[in-house]
Amino acid sequence: MAANAQGVAEAPFVWHPATAAEAWQLKQTLGTEGVYTAGGTLLRTQWEAGLAAMPNHLINVGEIEELHGIHIDCESGTGTLGAMITLSDLRTSPLVHASFPLLTEAARSIAAPSIRNLATIGGNVLSLVGDSLPALLIYDPVLHWHDGSNGLQESLSEWLSTAAVHAAWRERLLIAIELTQPALDSNTKRFVAYHKVGRRDAFTPSVVTAALSVQLDSDNRLSDVRLALGGGQTIPHRLELVEQFLTGKIANKKTITEVYALVVEHYEPKGDAFVPVSYRKKAAANLIASELWKAVR
Amino acid sequence: MLLNRKGSGARWRVRPDGPDKVTGKLAYLTDMTAPDMLIGRVLRSPHPHARITAIRTEQAAAMDGVHAVITHKDVPGLNRFGIANPDQPVLCEDRVRYVGDAVAAVAADSIEIAEQALRLIEVDYELLEVVEDAEYALEDDAPKLHPQGNLLHRNGFKRGDVDAGFDSCAHVVEETYYTPRQMHTYMETEGGLFIPGDDGRLTVYSPTQHGFMDRMQLARILAIPQSDIRIVSSPIGGSFGGKDELNVQPYGALLARATKRPVKLHNSRWESVRVGLKRHPMKISMKTGIDENGKLIAHQAKIIADTGPYATLGAEVLNFAVEHVIGPYRYENLDVEGFSVYTNNGLSGEFRGFGGNQAIFALEGQFDRLAEKLGIDPWELRLRNMRKSDDPGPFDHPIALTEGAKQVSAAMTASALWQERGNPGRTEEEQAEPWIRTGIGAAFTMHGAGLGFGIPDPAGGRLTLAADGKIEAVFGYEEFGQGLIASLEQMLIEQFGFASQDIRIIIGDTDVVPDSGSTTASRATSMMWKSLQNLRPLFEEAVLGKAAEILKLSASRLRFGEGGVYAIDADTDSSEAECLITYPALAAGCVEPITSTTQFHFPTSATEKVGAHFLYTYSAVAVKVEVNQLTGRIRLLHQYHTVAAGPVINPQGFLGQIEGGSSMALGFALTEDAVMSGGQYLTKNLDTYLVPTIAEHRGTMDVHPIEELPEEDTYGPRGIGEVGSVTLAPAIAAAIYDAVGVRVTKLPIDPELLLAQSIDQLLDKAVSGE
Repeated sequence: MAANAQGVAEAPFVWHPATAAEAWQLKQTLGTEGVYTAGGTLLRTQWEAGLAAMPNHLINVGEIEELHGIHIDCESGTGTLGAMITLSDLRTSPLVHASFPLLTEAARSIAAPSIRNLATIGGNVLSLVGDSLPALLIYDPVLHWHDGSNGLQESLSEWLSTAAVHAAWRERLLIAIELTQPALDSNTKRFVAYHKVGRRDAFTPSVVTAALSVQLDSDNRLSDVRLALGGGQTIPHRLELVEQFLTGKIANKKTITEVYALVVEHYEPKGDAFVPVSYRKKAAANLIASELWKAVR
Repeated sequence: MLLNRKGSGARWRVRPDGPDKVTGKLAYLTDMTAPDMLIGRVLRSPHPHARITAIRTEQAAAMDGVHAVITHKDVPGLNRFGIANPDQPVLCEDRVRYVGDAVAAVAADSIEIAEQALRLIEVDYELLEVVEDAEYALEDDAPKLHPQGNLLHRNGFKRGDVDAGFDSCAHVVEETYYTPRQMHTYMETEGGLFIPGDDGRLTVYSPTQHGFMDRMQLARILAIPQSDIRIVSSPIGGSFGGKDELNVQPYGALLARATKRPVKLHNSRWESVRVGLKRHPMKISMKTGIDENGKLIAHQAKIIADTGPYATLGAEVLNFAVEHVIGPYRYENLDVEGFSVYTNNGLSGEFRGFGGNQAIFALEGQFDRLAEKLGIDPWELRLRNMRKSDDPGPFDHPIALTEGAKQVSAAMTASALWQERGNPGRTEEEQAEPWIRTGIGAAFTMHGAGLGFGIPDPAGGRLTLAADGKIEAVFGYEEFGQGLIASLEQMLIEQFGFASQDIRIIIGDTDVVPDSGSTTASRATSMMWKSLQNLRPLFEEAVLGKAAEILKLSASRLRFGEGGVYAIDADTDSSEAECLITYPALAAGCVEPITSTTQFHFPTSATEKVGAHFLYTYSAVAVKVEVNQLTGRIRLLHQYHTVAAGPVINPQGFLGQIEGGSSMALGFALTEDAVMSGGQYLTKNLDTYLVPTIAEHRGTMDVHPIEELPEEDTYGPRGIGEVGSVTLAPAIAAAIYDAVGVRVTKLPIDPELLLAQSIDQLLDKAVSGE
């Protein structure tokens, strides 16, 4: 904690690097004394709650040009979101809405307007439990990092699977998130949905967050099935077993009933003092089952 | 007629304190600063129950920028506080009983220095067993939190023989209801500025609901005469009962006296959650029986209230709950009892509704269940047992006669919302999403106002024609957002004929105002109305008499008007009306300001039952809810409140109170609970303690006041500050049962209970032509 000789708290020194390399170098020099900050909304809650001490140095990454910008190629269905894009930017971008509509929906459901004006997509991803993650996971996301050398690219799913236990990424700087829209086969339609269920209707931590994307042919046969779940302290992930089960099946009552049972059986959310695991499983399964029903309705 | 802006016409006024509040211009007391001011901070116990074996403050006291470090040794007077029963240590001597207990306090040059000083205070604790369950606390082997044990208060009421009654019942329902530890969640957390004067007096700028009570308590702690303390207590950024008891005032006062400098304290939200009062969590077990015609034969209730570590108003809240678990019905045999129990949990105390919210949730639940057993409409069962206007009150005590019960029942059952019940037509949402179910439910209450029999409950006020010609209305009441200033101004305009610019309202300053009693218990507007009724002839006689003398006219030919005195038959609406003498001119003609004063007691019942009420407000509420069976989450689509409380003094204020009360009740029903484990709060902040947001208020709401009172009634408008918060939760519970057939016994409602039992059940409705 930043403090004077008497132990009295003082404000951290804030650095404003202009490039990713400069930021990375600062982090190397400062070590644990220096913390990257973007919107600062999550850090602030951690300091207040005593979950993290306010550091002596903050490295503001907001002035690094390459962290900004939304670049979307509607024809190829690919895009890159700079890590500094705020959730408000994300929510209001027509380009994002056209190509990655689940992200618009996710951004709408996170925190409150004043917080979304500061909070960034990069910060939401790096929190490991952000509500943008289930939506991002639908779009084959790849993280672009600055690691002091040539840069590093890594699939979001892979990173999430180990991020809680491996801390090496904390030394790197997230530059951008690359996304790809699922391609649509001929004679099929795509159905997508995003849900966040909290303990109240707005400005609430998530209990269950679900994102879904399926391709259906005229017989309601399912293909390219993508399901992602998260919520609370559960690190969001794709439900590969359920995706495989659904692929090639016709969406009907039998299939949907089986999917419900599979989700309840295989989804392993974390509970807390407010909402038990049993609710999270059932609500997640209900949301996925009901969306499949809506897809074929 | 429904209450709204349009229908209120000219009576819908811009509240005088409104513009400064919505623009942020208004400075609350906790916004105040003073030159040379120090910052105060309080060291709280980290443990819910421990013995203190040593407190070492030397290191903290030696820090640069620290001006005082105080412990229990520095309390010159009574080291205790509590409105009704002072058993809470200002600074703990040898034991802590909850995580908000204060052990030491510091005054320093800055927040940061004060906080570092707190870290340097060393306290040695020996941990003691944490008593976290109120029923366990009553067992013989539970640790005793106070010398007399863990029972703060016990109260009950019996009539007849319930056991024999139950034997003869055709139907009996037994159920146990649980209610949450709700937090007031005022926007302005507790705080204040404490300024020692050169004359040895202390001025306290700190929100409270009863300045004179704070003055008395602080004088007792500081061991100085009450006259040496001035309490300035308004405006307040919300209270809801939570700031009636002392909070930071003892520490600010002690530190200001110790340092001889102004000291400011202002709790963070974290400290406010940890230290502040909450609504009593209650476990209410009920057994209620009816005969084959639905007549109530026997009713038994047992209330266990978790009052936390100290008394404050725990006993009084329990008394209220005991009265209200009987409610607006008549029974042949009654046996209700309640226990208010000390634990090492958070401190429970006064909160809008005052025990009625918990009681009515349980009582109304019984009627819904009994009606189902009998196979009749739930409201029909209520009607068969509802008190008649001349029936005695819940404790068989005399109460003011009104038709309130009948009036609100008739209005509610005639409402469009209630008439919609049983209509098989499904909403568009239900058709599109078969997991959406809607239901309608209703509930009923009579809610007592005033402090009740046996408790000093003074009232009164003063009108003065001041030297500058302003009409000063001076009352010892507080403005905490409810619209008290607006209501007083409206009464002065409508009843006396003054213009708003003629009036100066003075409240919330013990050096200036009379003791009008507390601004609690839905009493202030009623008492201001009664005061003005008393004052009007006195003030007219004095002021119009003086005008008559100056004008050389008969006083009986004069009346008050806008800007001054008019001839009694002058048409004020006409521009021709001639003001005979302006108030400033009249004041100039007086040697001394003209003052009229009234003092009286809140009306009480001719009973011996402590806490029994005399004036009641009646309300019935109907709601329509939507249950999403995928998520178990509820949306309140529409609510209808009818309230029989006599004349509407201030339409905007009335609507605001019922809407605001209902909003609090929505949190009580759906989202709010200060969860504790092992005596520690798990909800430490507003990111886990969830009050409803605007998103929960997307439904519509109608408020239907019933203004008629019996001709002979002299008590006037009844209180409405609390009643809006009482009846919503049981109405929601009834509507949920109507929607999905699930009986709710615990608040806030657990969404898991409302999930579809199986996906098949949903899909059978959803999937067609598989």
